[in-house]
Amino acid sequence: MAYLDLRGVCKAFGSVVAVKGFSLSVEKGKLVSFLGPSGCGKTTTLRMIAGFEQPDAGTILLDGQDITAVPPNRRDIGMVFQSYALFPNMTVLENISFGLKMRHTPKDETISRAKEVLHMVRMDDTAKRYPHQLSGGQQQRVALARALAVRPRVLLLDEPLSALDAEVRVALRAEIRRIQSELAITTIYVTHDQEEALSISDQVVVMNRGIIEQVGSPVQVYRSPATRFVATFIGTANQFNGTAAGGHTVLCDQFRIETKPFNLIPDGKPVVVLVRPEAIRLQADDAVPEGWNAMRGAVETVTFHGAVTRVGVNVSGQRVVADVTEAGMKTISLGEKVCLTFPGDACQVMERDE
Amino acid sequence: MKHRASAIQYAVILLFLSYMLFPIAATYIFSVATRWDRSILPEGYTLEWYRTALQSSYFLSGLRNSMIMSLASVAVSLLVVVPTVYWVHARLYEAKPLLELLMILPFGIPGVVLALALVQVFSFPPLARSPYLLVGATVVFSMPFMYRAVGNALTAIDVRGLTEAAQSLGAGTGSILTQVIVPSIFPGIMSGSLLVFATVFAEFTLAKLITGAAFKTLPLLLVEYTRKNGYVAAALSVISFTLAWVASLLILWIGRTGRRSAQETLRSR
Repeated sequence: MAYLDLRGVCKAFGSVVAVKGFSLSVEKGKLVSFLGPSGCGKTTTLRMIAGFEQPDAGTILLDGQDITAVPPNRRDIGMVFQSYALFPNMTVLENISFGLKMRHTPKDETISRAKEVLHMVRMDDTAKRYPHQLSGGQQQRVALARALAVRPRVLLLDEPLSALDAEVRVALRAEIRRIQSELAITTIYVTHDQEEALSISDQVVVMNRGIIEQVGSPVQVYRSPATRFVATFIGTANQFNGTAAGGHTVLCDQFRIETKPFNLIPDGKPVVVLVRPEAIRLQADDAVPEGWNAMRGAVETVTFHGAVTRVGVNVSGQRVVADVTEAGMKTISLGEKVCLTFPGDACQVMERDE
Repeated sequence: MKHRASAIQYAVILLFLSYMLFPIAATYIFSVATRWDRSILPEGYTLEWYRTALQSSYFLSGLRNSMIMSLASVAVSLLVVVPTVYWVHARLYEAKPLLELLMILPFGIPGVVLALALVQVFSFPPLARSPYLLVGATVVFSMPFMYRAVGNALTAIDVRGLTEAAQSLGAGTGSILTQVIVPSIFPGIMSGSLLVFATVFAEFTLAKLITGAAFKTLPLLLVEYTRKNGYVAAALSVISFTLAWVASLLILWIGRTGRRSAQETLRSR
């Protein structure tokens, strides 16, 4: 049975629909990310779970109890904000103790629990400092500790790392995941950063324009995107428009692509074939593996990304990108004729509107 | 080049300071001069005018009345303005333009107009020409100062974020205001209180037209003396000015120790 349950939740601000028909079940102890571009409704949904926004329709259930009309201070939900929102007039320890004080927890217990969470976020030495004396990453650790100190039923994180440097971001997200797993606390994590969502989540909810595009494990949303939006928002995908033919072939203008079987799409239907750049191999010679697709063209762009080099090839007027590891390639020069190959298994076929 | 620029800067600052300080200094000197209207420097020095001023039967009552007015205005202003400004910043952004407009009105409406209108409308007891009505008027008149000071302090902190963070931790509106918001904007509240205090302490028009002789404040007394004896009026100005300064410092001091003790209580928990 789901621990946190959203049923048909809708929210509009004036004439702008922020969230429509949002239904999701979150199991206890899981970390679920809401991922999408800005304005997709992910933060609004989170704020409705927190109680800062009232849904226009739908219900929110927590542990079987309808909390839709419960005010935010009675929901027992911890929240971490992008802006940290630490109380500037209080020391770190006072900040962390605040929630316990509001619950009239005995003094001794308050102190010991505050110290415990402070230790959990590895900030033991900062108890007496004020927020303005801490770095952004440290402040967010304290904010996390403050939210955890009251042992909330659900932890909500609203783009918690967006204001931090890349290095701190990566370190802190691992910390968040570690603490979340240790405490087995049900967590909703809002982010627009796909890498972040894929790396820390049990489940990813991909959102666009107020609706859910796909719910799945990080591997699922990356490898088997349900919609074209998911395929292009998460990672990069080459898109080939064509028509379905024979259940495993797509006919494009200039070439044909052999794909894995797609039985449910009838022949003649307009489809799009999506192929990830890392699935495509670059070959100078024409040694195409048996059963693989092959496309030929001239190299137009070469961009070095560190671990891989992204090569853009002009295939009959369409730009196709392929990620090549250093080991797999000699130096590639612009204008060079190359052969791009990829297996049918790497092709994702989906219907498209004309 | 740089040297010259800084010389010009100093000249500008010096000019500004003398512009500000010259009248005050002149008043101070005038208040201890035996006579200063025929020569560049006073003809002699005396404390006679202070004796006259302090011996006036109205002096103490005027001082007391001015203090009551100022402190009452600060108190009412704190109770009315601070929660309002918080509300507008935290929840009701839509009302902000309206409030901004309202806060310009006291500058636009002359004191005479406000006073006469109030006297006309509230012509019944116990309000008619009473100190209560005067406090109401001075609060309105000095409201922009409190509003600006508190508003700026609220803008400087993340009101919405802090409010929501406190809410998610289980705090109700009362706790949020007293434990999070007010301590965070304390300097703004202090400077607002100071401005209100000083404005009301020196207020003449409203006091003259609303209560008049029935409730004489220090500025009324001062104006009376300018007609009788300029030297005594100068002495009164100096006293009033000094008192306003002392009161301001006192408020600042109370504020600082208050905040420190608040922090200490928090820490000891």
